[in-house]
Amino acid sequence: MTLEPRPPEPGPSPRVVRPYVLTQGRTKAPESTYGLEAQVRALVPPTQLDRAATPEARRIVELCQRATSVAEVAARMTLPLGVARVLVGDLVAVGALAVDVGSPDAATDVALLERLLDGIRAL
Amino acid sequence: MESVLSDRLRQTGWDTAPRARAAPVAMKVVVAGGFAVGKTTFVGAISEIDPLRTEAQITVESLGIDNVGLVEHKTGTTVAMDFGRITIASDMVLYLFGTPGQDRFWFMWDELARGSIGGVVLVDTRRLEDCFPAVDYFEALDVPFVVACNLFDGVATHHPREVREALRVPANTPVVLCDARRKSHVQETLVLLVEGALRRAQARAGR
Repeated sequence: MTLEPRPPEPGPSPRVVRPYVLTQGRTKAPESTYGLEAQVRALVPPTQLDRAATPEARRIVELCQRATSVAEVAARMTLPLGVARVLVGDLVAVGALAVDVGSPDAATDVALLERLLDGIRAL
Repeated sequence: MESVLSDRLRQTGWDTAPRARAAPVAMKVVVAGGFAVGKTTFVGAISEIDPLRTEAQITVESLGIDNVGLVEHKTGTTVAMDFGRITIASDMVLYLFGTPGQDRFWFMWDELARGSIGGVVLVDTRRLEDCFPAVDYFEALDVPFVVACNLFDGVATHHPREVREALRVPANTPVVLCDARRKSHVQETLVLLVEGALRRAQARAGR
C-alpha cells in the first residue's frame, strides 16, 4: 500500500489506473492466500487511518467495519480478487484489519453442520 | 511503509487489539454446472444480497509454435464467479459460490472447493452432458454433492431416476428436481446437501 504523502484528491474519482498499479505490481498477498470466504474485519475506524492512506484502503476499512468476506471486498470494490487480497494483506500488516481464515475442518464439523442444517431449514 | 500507519495509530492511542467480536464462521457451498444452467439464479433465489460478482485475473500459459521458436505465451484473461450470502446466525454465514462458466478454469474450482461443504450440480436435462465435468469433479474430490435438475419453465423434462441412470452417480448422491427461481426448492436442495455432509461427518466421527 502506498503510504507516501500524495496530493489530496477532490472526492471520489473514477479509477484511471490499472488495478495492479494499486498493488505496485505485486500479485501475492504477504500472508498465505486468503480463501474467498475468509472474514475480513476492521480493527480501526476509517477515521483512524493515516491521511496518506489510499482511497482504496480507506474504503476497504469502511467496508469491513462489519466482518466481510474477501470475495465481497473484491466485488464491492470492483477489484480483481488478487488485487483485493494484496490490499487486504497490506492493511493487516499495519494493524488496520484482521483476517479470520477459519478452520479447515469447519466443513466436516458435526456440530457446525447441525447448526447450519437447522439454520437453512429455518430460512 | 508499515510504520507510518502503525505509528499514527499508536500516537492517537488507538487500541489495535480486536475490538469487534470474533468474525463469524464462514461455511461454503459450490454451485456448479454448465454454461447458462441457472447457477446465478439458484444463488439469487436464496441469497440475502443480490448475487455479487468477483473476478480473478489469471494468466493462461501456452507454448506457441506459431512464433519465433518455442515461445511461452502468456495471455491475461478474466474469470468471473457469482456468489451470494446467507446469514445463518450472528456467528455463522453461508456463502454460495457459482463456478465460472468455463469448465477449463479448474484451478478456480479448486479454490472454490477448498474448505467447502460440498457442491450442487445444476443440470439442464436438455444438455445433460454439460454437467459431466462438474459431476466428475465432485466425485474425484470425494465431497458430498447433490444433482439438481433445473426446471426450466417449471417443467420437468426428465424423471430424476433417468438422470441418475444417465449420470451414474453414487446411490448416496441425491438427484432432485429444482426450480432454481424458487427459494423453497433451493432451500430443500441445500438441506439435502448438508444432510449428506452431516451423515458423512458423523460417520467419520464414529457416532
